[in-house]
This record gives sequence, C-alpha cells and structure tokens, in this order.
Amino acid sequence: MEMLYHQYRRRVFGMAHRIVGPSDAEEVAQEVFVRVFRGLASFRGDSALSTWIYRLTVNAALSYLSRRGRRHEVGDEGLVDLPAPPTTERDSALAARIESALTKLPAGYRAILVLHDVEGLSHEECAAILECRIGTCKSQLHKARARMRELLGPGIGPDVEPPTSNH
Amino acid sequence: MTTCKTIQPRLTAYLDGELADDHGSVVRGHLRECAACRQVARDEAGLRDSLRALPPLDPPASLWAGVQAQLAAAEVADARAPRWRRAFARWLPSVPRLVTGGLVAAAAVAVLYWRTHQPDEAAGKPAIADRVEELPAKVLEPRAEVSVSPADDVTADLLAEPARTTAAYGDAIEELMKLASEARGAWSDDRASAFDTRVAALRGAIERAAGHAQQRAQRAMIRYLQSEVVRDDVMLASRGTP
Repeated sequence: MEMLYHQYRRRVFGMAHRIVGPSDAEEVAQEVFVRVFRGLASFRGDSALSTWIYRLTVNAALSYLSRRGRRHEVGDEGLVDLPAPPTTERDSALAARIESALTKLPAGYRAILVLHDVEGLSHEECAAILECRIGTCKSQLHKARARMRELLGPGIGPDVEPPTSNH
Repeated sequence: MTTCKTIQPRLTAYLDGELADDHGSVVRGHLRECAACRQVARDEAGLRDSLRALPPLDPPASLWAGVQAQLAAAEVADARAPRWRRAFARWLPSVPRLVTGGLVAAAAVAVLYWRTHQPDEAAGKPAIADRVEELPAKVLEPRAEVSVSPADDVTADLLAEPARTTAAYGDAIEELMKLASEARGAWSDDRASAFDTRVAALRGAIERAAGHAQQRAQRAMIRYLQSEVVRDDVMLASRGTP
C-alpha cells in the first residue's frame, strides 16, 4: 500500500495542486488515495492502473471545484499586467506566471493542460482519463493553450527566425 | 489558399508533431511568410516547453498520515455499520448486471406469455396449446441449451462472494497487524503481552469457526486491531504530535 502511495504521490498531488490550487491540493490528494486503497480490490483492470488513478484524481479535483463553486472564468486581466522579468530570472519568473495563469483557466482546460503538457501523457491516455474522444482532447488542448497565451501575453517563446527544418 | 484563420487551429498539432508530412509542409510554408503566425507559433511552443519544464510538486509529509487516518476511520465505520449495509455495499457493483438480467428475463416471460395467449385470428383454428400435438415430431425435439454469456451470469459471482469476503477480512487483518507491529515498539511490556494474548485468542476463534461465524470472528479481530492502532494515534494527537 505504501509502495503504491510513494509511486503516485507526486503525480496525484501535482495534478490536484495544479487543478484545485495549493490550499486544497492536500485534501483532494488525500481523498484520491483513500478512494484508491478502498477501491483497489474492485479495480477490474479495464484500464491501466495509472489511468484509473489519474481518472480518480481528475474527477476528485473537478468535483471538488464544483462543490466549492469556484470555477474561474476570467478575462485578460491579471497576468498580462505583470512586469516582464529580467533575462536572468526569466525561467523561474515565467514558471511562476504560468502556474498563476493556470489557476485562471476554466477547470476543464486546466485538466487537459496538466495531463498533456505538464504530465506528458498522450492524447490516448488523456482521452481515457477524461472519458472523452481523442479529437475532443486535441481541440480542448488547442483552446486551452490559446487561452493561456491570451492570459500570458506575447513574448513567451524564444526569439527565433522562421522554421528551417522538418519536425 | 491557406490563411491565418485556417493555419492557427492546426498549430497545436503541428508543434506537437502530430500533422502528416503534407499538412506539416503547408503549415511550415505559411509560417515562412506570415510574421503574425510565426509569433503565435513561437509563443505556443514556448508555453508548451515551459509547461513541460514545471517542476514536480512534493506533497507535504502530512499527506500520508492523513490518508492512513482516513482509512482507519473508514474501516472503523465499516465495522460499525449494520450488516445489511455492508452486504448492500458488496452487492452494489452487481446491481447493473442483476437489473439487466432481470429486464431480459421479464421481457422473455412477457414474449412467452403473449405468444401463448394470442387469440386465434382464423375462426375455427384450435388454440396454440392444442395445435402443439399436431406439429411434426422433429419440431418438438428438445432444443439445444441456450448459452448464457459469462457477463450475464452472476451466479458464480454470487456463490464466490462469501469466500471473497473472508479473504478481504483476512487481508485487512494482515494489514492492521503490520500497523500494530510497527506501533508495538513504543508499547510497554504489559500492553504488548496483553495484545499477544488477545490476538492469539481471536486467531484461535477464527481458525475454529467456519462460514458466517468465521467472518464474525474476523470482524471482532479487525475491531480489536483498529482500536489498538487508533489508540496510539489518539495518544499522539493528544500530545500535540503532528
């Protein structure tokens, strides 16, 4: 039991932290692990164990937000007003701005960004966790990134010239 | 003719390497000529890389303690819950299958009833039950047994339920014994000795019993172990230990 906890604690806590925010992340993560340990015996293996645990995490986080009635729908205010950081502090300051911008996104966008971009899961895994189609995942990711760009303002990317190679 | 409006929705897939070569080439061609879309692509790539570079977050040490306390509280609640509620909770996952099976059976009975009680349309025709005797013998041969798909057949599942419950209680006992033996280091000799005596007596009772009586003995053991483990937590909490 403890091994399973140590294997998933960072991801479960990290997802909860980035979806519900720092003050409630521990409560949500706790709820997830209790559900995992109490439900483990009835886990039927329909999906990978990790997918099941992440699904519990996302569902617990989203329903926590719903109970708390704090689904944010914000405009362009806030982060774009932050002063541009000096180059040497750019990375850590950008990370802080990104963490902050995440909290301003609608919960569904936050979930897909955390799963795909932060945790690095594939669209197939995200679709299994969010219980939607892969196409829906892709379009949600596109919209979520666009919203993040709006919140952060221009100039997030490196200053490079036009593309020169195949990806 | 590609425009910014048609290219921008494809940028996410392009940057994640998910576009087929020909579509990727179209996007690259547009990016070479359009400074505005280049800026959007740079920003999105920068955002994606920054999101991937966010550091993992370590949970506070109190998380594990909180999980254990909640599990212990839930198990105590399980042990105190009336028997019918526990049985209901165990059966709950089978309810959809039972409902489906019930509906299928009800539909089959309804069809059978309708077919046997159908009024004769043609005057003078004998009733169906009477006509059966007129049918050729081969029609009346017994039909092959209808196969029931394993997914619909819950009989085996239900029969295995008591064994599963006994095994689950056994697992809970072993888990609680581990917690108790970890806590034992801090116990006085008297308490440890009393614990051993009680555990030996309870184990004896479990081994001697069978069926429901054995599960009752297992539940008594679980309650005792939980009270011993929780007692330590309560003492620690009352001393203000985090």
